[in-house]
Amino acid sequence: MIDLISYSCIGLGLVFWLWGTWPLLGPRSVLFKLHSLSVADTLGSMSIVVGLLLKIPNEWPLLILALISLAIWNTVLGYVLAYCSSDIVHLAPPTHSSSVSAGDAPYV
Amino acid sequence: MNWVLPIMLLILLIPLYEACQDKDIWQKMLAFASIATKTSLMILVVSVLRDDWMIGVVGVIILSVGNAALMLLAHVIKRLNEIGEG
Repeated sequence: MIDLISYSCIGLGLVFWLWGTWPLLGPRSVLFKLHSLSVADTLGSMSIVVGLLLKIPNEWPLLILALISLAIWNTVLGYVLAYCSSDIVHLAPPTHSSSVSAGDAPYV
Repeated sequence: MNWVLPIMLLILLIPLYEACQDKDIWQKMLAFASIATKTSLMILVVSVLRDDWMIGVVGVIILSVGNAALMLLAHVIKRLNEIGEG
């Protein structure tokens, strides 16, 4: 019975992996791909780890650590990648490239 | 249990192909993040298959440290892009 549940968890995780990774091949934007990857890929990975945990329960501290680091790091990495890939620069100092013409050559 | 690894390898080919063929750096970073998670999960599966927990510790360390490295790399690339534009 436990074997059946663990195999179904691993199979569900593989389906989620395929579902989340397949949009990477399409021509969509980075944010769309990031959304599908961070939701379906993280859920699939966590499901696979739960399946492994049911399979060999005597090594649970290591697999629980894997679960926690998956949940936290993939969420944080999703936010950071979305922030870094967007073009909006918050609180950036004003640039003077438009006010200085090429003939002024202030730093030469 | 042996059927899991070939399927994982086949799914791993998708982000590998994407990282090779796409020129945009953020799409590449996304593919790299996916590859990092998938390979560390594969290491965990191998460690369960072989019942060897030294391999499992390596997988968990990659899972927790590899994403941090990707985060730092994303910030460095963003800063370089800002310097290149300004």
